[in-house]
Amino acid sequence: MARYVIRRLIATIPTILGVTIVVFMFLRLIPGDPAIAMLGEHATEENVSRVREQFGLNRPTFLDREALKQGDFKGFINTQYFIYLGRLLRGDLGDSIHRRIPVAATLMQRFPATMELAFFSMFVAIIIGVPVGIISAARRNSILDSTTMVGSLIGVSMPIFWLGVMLIMLFAVILQWLPAGGRLSSSVEFTPTTNFYLIDSLLTFNIPAFVDSFQHIILPAIALATIPMAVTARMTRSSMLDVMQEDYVRTARAKGVTERLVLYRHALKNAFLPIITIIGLQFGLLLAGAVLTETIFSWPGIGKWVYDSILARDYPIVQGGTLLIALIFVLINLLVDVSYAYLDPRIHYD
Amino acid sequence: MSAESSVLVKVQNLTKYFPINKGILFQSHIGDVKAVDDVSFEIYSGETLGLVGETGCGKTTVGRTILRLYEPTSGHVYFEGIDLMSLNESGMRAFRKRMQMIFQDPYASLNPRMTVGSIVAAPLDVHGVPDGKDKKERIDELLDMVGLNPDFVNRYPHEFSGGQRQRIGIARALAVNPDLIICDEPISSLDVSIQAQVVNLLEELQGRLGLTYLFIAHDLSMVRHISDRIAVMYLGKVVELADRNEIYLRPLHPYTQALMSAVPVPDPDIAETRHRVILEGDLPSPAHPPVGCNFSTRCPLAKEQCFTADPEYREIVPGHWVACYFADQFVK
Amino acid sequence: MPTLTPASIMIERKMTKTTQSDIATIDYAVREHRSLWVDAWRRLVSSRTAQAGLFIVSFLILTTVLAHFFWEYNPKTDLDYTLKLKPPTLIPNEEVPSVHIFGTDKLGRDIFRRVVHGGWNTLMVGIIAVTISLVIGGLLGLLAGFFESIEMTRLEKILLLVFLGGLMGFLPAWIAEQPVQIVLFALLGGAAAMFENFLAGRSARVVLFAAVGLLIGGGLALFVSPYTAIVTGLLGGLIGAALSLQLGGSLFSNITMRAMDIVLAFPSYLLAIAIVAFLGTGLEKGMVAIGIVSIPVFARLVRSSVLSVVQKEYILAAQSVGEGHGRIIFRHIFPNVLSPITVQTTLGIGSAILAAAALGFLGLGAVPPEPEWGAMLGDSYKYLSSGAWWAVVFPGVAIMLIVLGFNLLGDGLRDALDPKMKV
Repeated sequence: MARYVIRRLIATIPTILGVTIVVFMFLRLIPGDPAIAMLGEHATEENVSRVREQFGLNRPTFLDREALKQGDFKGFINTQYFIYLGRLLRGDLGDSIHRRIPVAATLMQRFPATMELAFFSMFVAIIIGVPVGIISAARRNSILDSTTMVGSLIGVSMPIFWLGVMLIMLFAVILQWLPAGGRLSSSVEFTPTTNFYLIDSLLTFNIPAFVDSFQHIILPAIALATIPMAVTARMTRSSMLDVMQEDYVRTARAKGVTERLVLYRHALKNAFLPIITIIGLQFGLLLAGAVLTETIFSWPGIGKWVYDSILARDYPIVQGGTLLIALIFVLINLLVDVSYAYLDPRIHYD
Repeated sequence: MSAESSVLVKVQNLTKYFPINKGILFQSHIGDVKAVDDVSFEIYSGETLGLVGETGCGKTTVGRTILRLYEPTSGHVYFEGIDLMSLNESGMRAFRKRMQMIFQDPYASLNPRMTVGSIVAAPLDVHGVPDGKDKKERIDELLDMVGLNPDFVNRYPHEFSGGQRQRIGIARALAVNPDLIICDEPISSLDVSIQAQVVNLLEELQGRLGLTYLFIAHDLSMVRHISDRIAVMYLGKVVELADRNEIYLRPLHPYTQALMSAVPVPDPDIAETRHRVILEGDLPSPAHPPVGCNFSTRCPLAKEQCFTADPEYREIVPGHWVACYFADQFVK
Repeated sequence: MPTLTPASIMIERKMTKTTQSDIATIDYAVREHRSLWVDAWRRLVSSRTAQAGLFIVSFLILTTVLAHFFWEYNPKTDLDYTLKLKPPTLIPNEEVPSVHIFGTDKLGRDIFRRVVHGGWNTLMVGIIAVTISLVIGGLLGLLAGFFESIEMTRLEKILLLVFLGGLMGFLPAWIAEQPVQIVLFALLGGAAAMFENFLAGRSARVVLFAAVGLLIGGGLALFVSPYTAIVTGLLGGLIGAALSLQLGGSLFSNITMRAMDIVLAFPSYLLAIAIVAFLGTGLEKGMVAIGIVSIPVFARLVRSSVLSVVQKEYILAAQSVGEGHGRIIFRHIFPNVLSPITVQTTLGIGSAILAAAALGFLGLGAVPPEPEWGAMLGDSYKYLSSGAWWAVVFPGVAIMLIVLGFNLLGDGLRDALDPKMKV
């Protein structure tokens, strides 16, 4: 089992390398001078050359042929990409062009916000999606079943950002029950430790802070959770239906096992495998939707920051943020693969 | 068969190994599945040679390799004296007209999206028969030959039963007038009553068209009915080959003897008095065949020499070939 | 002589008792031969989800196309500050002198009109993006799946190795600034394929080709500099060795699928956003970005469908008859993989539209003032707090409706084409 994990880890290395190359290439694909694109046309000479220096835009892109000709092997690889890669390996993602603060540090700071939202949304999606799917499967072709199926179809067809806006409109503007954005009201006293507000406030028994954080997180979480919820519900339903048609379920019923036990003990356990895979994949996709949701709800996470940086043309941030999210995605996929192999006794670890 | 019959197909030292590869991108070769291991026999023109053996013994692979659907690892197949392995692609294509195959699964051997007519006409298309009245007549003729109503030309395979689909497959095989037809377990997936129909059809066609069959199967009683000679395979090697009556009355190889003893006999009195040979042990993996005789791990007669060296495949009595050290004992 | 028995038709219709109407149907079936497509079509139009989807999609496509060609609209001149953010007005009054079913937006433009015209842009993006993914991804998946199971002909192997040789040779050629090396390595690849049985399986072969590669890479580069020659010689040796290895058909498939994995490593929206962020805005760039992002989806789907078809015996039968690869792909594989591809394409249009709307919302899609539903949402949502709900609701409903339509249709197609229902 450990060998399998290691082998899968090694297999992700080319993928990760590919990711770094793609992210690296983004900056260099800009038509014209990237430095000017970032700073704007009225930038000073001094700023332009500073930026060019920072990115090593004066060096060759991948390999320095001229240096090699002279026999300078070190100079050969002292190029933009390898400098970039070297910095990456040291955890240095560069500095923001406009604010001159290190990208990596700020990403780490804003990371928990995105993660908290993602986890909470996934939690909501599972809590609602899985039971709905099970019940729909158990009462196939009933009104409940049709309603949930149509509902989930509609859920998958809605643009997240629109749903978010609708939710804000309903709950924040019209009903005024919940705040329209942000993570915490400025009036609340709160010192975060892990930066996961919900957890921190509980840990310090700061109930007002907890309630306030909850109020802020619930709307974006619902918006973000809609699609995974719908997909999970459908997947659970179809997986359960497949399993319930199997002979071993029929045997259990024939033996006289109550419908409920049949459902939980026999059917659910075996249906769970594809469900878990889907849940894992959905989590990855959730991160992708983070950019949109965070923007609408002014949620101070990585997504919003990346988006703001796109507008400001602060490309190091875009690069760093994209890289981080992509890496997390790769990690999640790896986890899903490994857990799949772990859970299905039929799969060999070859 | 009499000595005057000519040899249509001569298989000589045919070997087919399937490489086992491991690795993610560039794979390394760590072993082989020895599906067919140094097999030699002849098929005479006009006869039916039965090829029997348990699942996994390599008989299907032999059939496909003769047709060059798999490239042999080594060895030769001579068709009327011409070495098929020496032909390039276009040369081989010309030869494909002369040998065809009927497949086991009637549901998977016909393209569900093609009409019966196009399925049967496919060989004609490939070998350059132009569209037109002649082609249409030929298709009708073929369908009629296998006992199907020519009006069904525009129907789709899913509208037919298993036995009928098998007939369509036969019609397809006959389209270009082959000399040799390799029947790869053509009746194994059919109901027993339909099996008889199809076998009768095959026999009738053989008589009418002068076909030669290599009949691959695992049902011994049916093979006995249709074959002139029978070859028995085990784990990639031919262990015995003889006239059908000879092999039933005087099986010389322990494996053949075990097989024969397992064939049910209708007469209960005779059945009682028969001696059942029951084999112990499991079939070895074709990727790791035993050292020495392949059958040594399960053979009731195995002695020391069997575990060290492969017995020679020899013609012990004219027309009767065996690969066993103890064959002489049973020759009476 | 055996005839077509009713039994075989009954299996298909899963009946247990024959009634009068059943017999009539059987008669009909006997007289009219039914291809699997006709069957599927019948199932499709009788399913309610499909009907709903079909209705929505056709209605929207029809209105969009008609509007695009027959209803004049110049977005650049459409502007009326006096009508800024007016609510939906069905009856003209003093304040709002014209009819605006959906109200007006921040620049006084009629939202209904912009929604109808924006549909064209939205549809275009969806269809073109999916076409890109389908063609490129489908082709890659087809070739990958096909050659995984079927041995390449000598010609195909030569082509592949020439291509690979040239591709790999790109690196040393670039380092030494000698483009001729590409040609030489391509030729080396071709030679490796042509003489594939020469010293096959022996290490002597690897050594031989590595040596030739070394000569090509290093020898020529000596004219540039000895140090360059060292590096390129080494690379050349590696390339030669790689080319000499036994070519497994799955090599192509492995490489392609790995490349797909890299693209899949990015969350789709993020990749599309990133591509557009750097390439610049505009509908065309958005189409390309979304198209690229979905290539692996189609590649994987087509590959797995092709794999399952290629294992069927009728492919083997086609080979034994002497059919060439082209004919096998075209007549046997293609029609049998069409079902999942159709379903995925339909669903893909839906998700491409959603992605386009997301890009538009973020301001990365259509260049204003072109109407595009996502962009319309992006423009207007900040006016929500002042109560202008119409500017946000209507474009959003439009997006939802069209995506729902495609999803319903795709679902209906999936059920109709489900092979489990056929015998």
